[in-house]
Amino acid sequence: MDLDLARQAQVGDESAFAEIVRRYSPRVFSVASRFFRQRSLVEEAAQEVFLKAYTQLGSFEGRGSLEGWLTRIATNTCLNMVRSSKRRPESTVSDLTEDEASWLEHQSAGDGEQPSVENEVVATDLADRLLSVLSPEDQQALLMIDGEDASIKEVAEATGWSESKVKVRAFRARKKVREAMEKLLGHRNEQLDSAAD
Amino acid sequence: MKHITEILDNASMAALSENELNEVRAHALECESCRSAYEAARLSAVVLKSRTQVVVEPSPFFQTRVMAALREQREAENVPAFSRLWKSAKVLVSSMALTTAALGVLTFVLPGTVVSDDQAVSAYSAESVIMGQKADEQLSYEQVLSTIYEDDEDAR
Repeated sequence: MDLDLARQAQVGDESAFAEIVRRYSPRVFSVASRFFRQRSLVEEAAQEVFLKAYTQLGSFEGRGSLEGWLTRIATNTCLNMVRSSKRRPESTVSDLTEDEASWLEHQSAGDGEQPSVENEVVATDLADRLLSVLSPEDQQALLMIDGEDASIKEVAEATGWSESKVKVRAFRARKKVREAMEKLLGHRNEQLDSAAD
Repeated sequence: MKHITEILDNASMAALSENELNEVRAHALECESCRSAYEAARLSAVVLKSRTQVVVEPSPFFQTRVMAALREQREAENVPAFSRLWKSAKVLVSSMALTTAALGVLTFVLPGTVVSDDQAVSAYSAESVIMGQKADEQLSYEQVLSTIYEDDEDAR
């Protein structure tokens, strides 16, 4: 089915390619959302993925799923975009906003606040801050395994890396993120101490 | 005492077995550094989960946008080689034509501004400056010579 669609699109059947875009856009957007939070950047990346996929349709042999093939193109395209944009923010893990400090305090005390849009935004900002200490590749490995519960094998398939490389990346990333979080917690304790004085 | 940071870094919190979690918790009660490591790992897992919940959905126009970009890309690929060459060489050719036209104007339209070689050479010679004075101020040949070589005589 996937292979037929790909072959039709390859010989110039526009409706076949439009069907591929319609069917797999959510998957491609989900991959791009791991890299970018702004809608415009996610859309730009997703468009780039489909244009690239169109020119490479001949290399899809139908051994795996079209979704898996597109996921791989999406992951590599987004990695390249992140690398070339050089937009990696400085790793500032020392300054906490009031909301972040409060969120951490509640979480540490075990009375996780009620899920709300505001809390989700705070948690996501914190995640981005922690992820900024990692390379884009390590971010991917960690987000897929720890965030999306993907297996080592799934990450290897999506990225084209070997399973041992994925394991090493995930281990290294987890350690760095944990240490960055320890630093944040230490900073929060300092803030609390100075407020008490 | 075996620290538990390696267990924490080896797998996601969700993938830790019940035995591993018990070991981590028991050790964290006794070891302060591992307690803060466990706390940090637990909170990191929470924020990473939140981060992956943020997914941008495709807009209803996305498919149309991609198909339009695809047509544009194909059209660009179908432009004949000569047109593509002309497109890139256009600026160079126009600037060359402009330069030629400017040179033509300077040569043929404004000939009066061009000076002869003799004039150019003599324009700044001492003789011409002195000899070019008005008739009533004109000096004799001897005066000219003495004016020119005045400095030499002083030196002598």
